[in-house]
Amino acid sequence: MVNKLKLWIEKATFQTQDSRQFYLSNGKEVKQPYSYTPLIIFALLVVSAFAWNVTNVNLIRMFLRIENFFNVLLRMAEPRWSYFDRALGPMIDTIQMSFLGSLIGALLALPVAFLSANNITKNKAVLSSTRFSLSLVRTLPVLVYAAILSLVFGFGVFAGTVAIAIFTFGILSKMLYENIETIDLSAYIAIEATGATKSRAFLTAIVPQILPSYLSFSLYSFEINIRYAAILGYVGAGGIGLLFDDRMAWRRYDDVAVLIIMLFVVVFTIESLSRYLRRRLT
Amino acid sequence: MIQFKNVGKTYPNGVEALKNVSLEIKQGEFVAVIGLSGAGKSTLVKLVNKMHEVTLGDLVVNGITVDSTLKGKELRKFRRKIGMVFQSFNLIGRTSVIKNVLAARVADMSLMQSLLGLYTKEDRLLALEALDKVGILEKAYSRADQLSGGQQQRVALARTLAQNPDIILADEPVASLDPITANQVMKDFERINKELNITVIANMHHVDMALKYANRVIGIRGGEVIFDGPSKEVNEALLKDIYGREITDEDIMFKPEDNEGL
Amino acid sequence: MQKVNTPLEMLAQAPKRWLPITLAFVTILGMSIWSLSVIRVPEINDSGLVIVGSIIRSFANPNWDWLLSWGPSSIPYQMYETVAIAFLGTFFGAIMAIPMAFLSARNITGRFYSFIGIVAVTMIRTFPVFILGLMFIRVTGPGPFAGVMTISVASIGMMTKLYVESIEDIDKGVLEALDATGATTLQKIRYGIIPQLSANFISNSIYRFEINVRNATILGLVGAGGIGFTLISAMSAYRWNDAAAALWGIIIVVLFIEYFSTRIRKKIASGE
Repeated sequence: MVNKLKLWIEKATFQTQDSRQFYLSNGKEVKQPYSYTPLIIFALLVVSAFAWNVTNVNLIRMFLRIENFFNVLLRMAEPRWSYFDRALGPMIDTIQMSFLGSLIGALLALPVAFLSANNITKNKAVLSSTRFSLSLVRTLPVLVYAAILSLVFGFGVFAGTVAIAIFTFGILSKMLYENIETIDLSAYIAIEATGATKSRAFLTAIVPQILPSYLSFSLYSFEINIRYAAILGYVGAGGIGLLFDDRMAWRRYDDVAVLIIMLFVVVFTIESLSRYLRRRLT
Repeated sequence: MIQFKNVGKTYPNGVEALKNVSLEIKQGEFVAVIGLSGAGKSTLVKLVNKMHEVTLGDLVVNGITVDSTLKGKELRKFRRKIGMVFQSFNLIGRTSVIKNVLAARVADMSLMQSLLGLYTKEDRLLALEALDKVGILEKAYSRADQLSGGQQQRVALARTLAQNPDIILADEPVASLDPITANQVMKDFERINKELNITVIANMHHVDMALKYANRVIGIRGGEVIFDGPSKEVNEALLKDIYGREITDEDIMFKPEDNEGL
Repeated sequence: MQKVNTPLEMLAQAPKRWLPITLAFVTILGMSIWSLSVIRVPEINDSGLVIVGSIIRSFANPNWDWLLSWGPSSIPYQMYETVAIAFLGTFFGAIMAIPMAFLSARNITGRFYSFIGIVAVTMIRTFPVFILGLMFIRVTGPGPFAGVMTISVASIGMMTKLYVESIEDIDKGVLEALDATGATTLQKIRYGIIPQLSANFISNSIYRFEINVRNATILGLVGAGGIGFTLISAMSAYRWNDAAAALWGIIIVVLFIEYFSTRIRKKIASGE
């Protein structure tokens, strides 16, 4: 049964046993391995068809009505600059939220990363349980954390900060333990052999090896967190997202434009600064 | 047959790479071009398939005059009969060995066929035969980047063989290999040259390799051919002349203590 | 090199790193104090604790009817829709990113146009997903179609960036080799450029798909399809068992996709 199906698939993809058999002039025989590419393409087409169907994608409708999208953009082309004064406070909240969230997340990530690195932690049970918990933490989007936390702590910046801290903790721990697993432990052993204590050896042999990437990853998290922080207001977790929600609902695209420009400037500045610093670090 | 008649080459930036070169290379010869880097070795080789264009004199390859009128379809047709091997192998690392070799067949295929990558069974067989000739048939379906440097250069050699060329040009084919591997690859060149009667023109920095495998050596200094003759006739005084200095360790691949030197 | 006589002289020449380190430390400390001064830690009152308790309890007892059925309001169906949004969104985004990437690659278009491309991509990236979602709803009406468009535009930024890196890494030697075999320009693109890029393109698309599944879970908040609407409305109505069912759906699907995405990408990077 399985064999028959296999033969049928080979035939359907024009790769019969015969067509894959080669006889060289000096008598050698070569068998070309079966190529899965046609099958993968077919599977992707099937998945696309299902996805297309369930999402009601309709390109004709898209092209006929795309002007609505550009109309909104056109209205954004005339920002109402006076809105800046109103938006400045929440923008600063957003920056503080993502800074503090990144900092707390980064501090928490450090010990957990050592606990999940297979060259530091030898206990299999500890290793797999911390790693699994980390991937659980990473599954939920930061907005979902913010939504839950703003119900627990009440609406406001605090819930957003904690949400960002959790999110940062999740991704940074993973980046960090993958980095720790690549470091060279022989220096640690050598220093321990000179009679230094374990913590002393750790500080002199391991910390310098991971410190640059740790700082670099932390900066990177801060960089991406600003974007996430900007939407947390939608679930009441403070920051500029509240204004986005409000102004979009009132279709005040001229105000939304001011918000986007402010966000652009902040994101661009932080990204450039962070990229410069990260380049210096590595 | 390849004929250089008073050929000169000046680059657009004014550098005169070759002066008044006259040569005749017959079908089936194994020619090594030696000299210092910057002497014009690479230029000489690359003129043959018009990777660089002659600026003075005449170059005739198998009856076809290689000048500015040779272009487009005619040029591509001309190049199909000339294989080329590079110092850096120039393979696509992420694809299989056989696909790298088959890429040489592309120029002979129709547009639709070549865009869809529909190789015929004959093409595939030809590619496998080419891989067999350089002794890495069993690697046909491995990814090219998983091969060692020597194996990669053999794939590149197989790629040129799949073109069914009359001439193989080699631009420093073994300069980035270790001595042992370099020897093996040069042996492949030697065998192909003898068995298939394909002309091989290789520019080589390492004197020992050149003398060991080529029948004929062309010595270039400052863009001028100052020696052209059988490799047996090359002696130390001549080398000193070509290189303008004593031969150093850097000019030979096997150091004297390797027992394999000059 | 300067001649050094004694260890003491050498010590005096040791690079002075205390300045940048102190500077960085002071900056971080300063920003922390500045940020902390504004954030008011709320007192967790009884209702907050009650909520924490109900969340934990409901995770063990989610709305099983939703979790184990198949109908438009069931969790499996909504996750199916969410993944479909992410899949098509990634597909369209991957296609839209290709011209942007060739425009932004310095070795293809030169300094000037690549700068324009990079600025355009940065501008697209600045739009928060919800804003894009609401803008596309004006085009497509509410529902998953808007989600697909949102995800595709939101993916352009990162995918372009990753594509540009692989385009700027193209090995021109392969093109030279093809040139020497007598290949046409079209054939050189097909056999010299596409094979060099395709593995990276596929790998990046899979990685972005993984991220997009997470993004698609929240789009429902603005009416752009997926599980987000169910999740957020259950939460804001304190229907914790319903919310837990949705969260389980997200957790299971995301873990599953992350696992396979990592495996496939590893395989592509190393070769079978």
